[in-house]
Amino acid sequence: MSDKQQLIGLELEPYHFDVEKGKIKELAMAIGDDNPIYFSEDAAKKEGFEGIPIPLTFLQAIDLWGGYTFDKKVEVLDINPVKVLHGEQEYEIIGDIYAGDHVTVTSKVIDVRVKEGASGGMNLITTENIYTNQHDKKVAIARSTTIERH
Amino acid sequence: MFYEDIEVGEQLPVIEKDPITRVQLVKYAGASGDFNPLHTDEDVGEQAGTGLIAHGMLIMGMAAEGVTTWMPRKNVKKFNVRFQKMTYPGDKIRVEGSILEKKDDHRVVGEVQAVNQDGEVKVKGKFECELPAK
Repeated sequence: MSDKQQLIGLELEPYHFDVEKGKIKELAMAIGDDNPIYFSEDAAKKEGFEGIPIPLTFLQAIDLWGGYTFDKKVEVLDINPVKVLHGEQEYEIIGDIYAGDHVTVTSKVIDVRVKEGASGGMNLITTENIYTNQHDKKVAIARSTTIERH
Repeated sequence: MFYEDIEVGEQLPVIEKDPITRVQLVKYAGASGDFNPLHTDEDVGEQAGTGLIAHGMLIMGMAAEGVTTWMPRKNVKKFNVRFQKMTYPGDKIRVEGSILEKKDDHRVVGEVQAVNQDGEVKVKGKFECELPAK
């Protein structure tokens, strides 16, 4: 086990993603979420949106398709991929993200903790992603805690 | 949906999902971009000693579906979960929720959990919504 504290403050290279309605539909269908706002612009507008909004967990698709793959992230954070679990995920929604938006993401490691659990020790690595749209408006923040078992 | 209509302690209608299939895990891998083979490749699952497991984020997506069925998507301001247990193909998830708190600034806080057919909690979390006043 290496000392992971040095990861705090590490910034990943910013990445971009063009949100498409086909990708929104694909994610909603994979989840089995048939909320019409993800499929029809008319339904979305009836609920007060300007276009088709993203499902709450679509931010993950922005990260994985626009940014670092799992393998790349494991390499950058220097963690053992077979010992990794997703511990916690938090989303703060500040504005709307729509099909057609161009989203830029900045990501950094904000916390590293070592914890002794029932099944041994673990590193808890928390990254924070900030999502900004093409109008330079901050629209969402995601905090994700990765668990690396020792 | 208005702030005044919400009551603390209120149970939200349960969302019942179809059993998770392997095809669904392939679909979720493609949609999300999470191609960790543990979710789609039987051999890797065996080597890992877990068997094939569902993406945690798929289950969070189901919990999110619950939240945005109870509350308009537009009003949801925060959503966080903790991943508790692994979910397997064949598991039938139901999403349950209740209202925990009403805050002064027209915000309501609720809890949500995704549970399988045996009552095992897979994902547990909280959501916060800002609702219009009457």
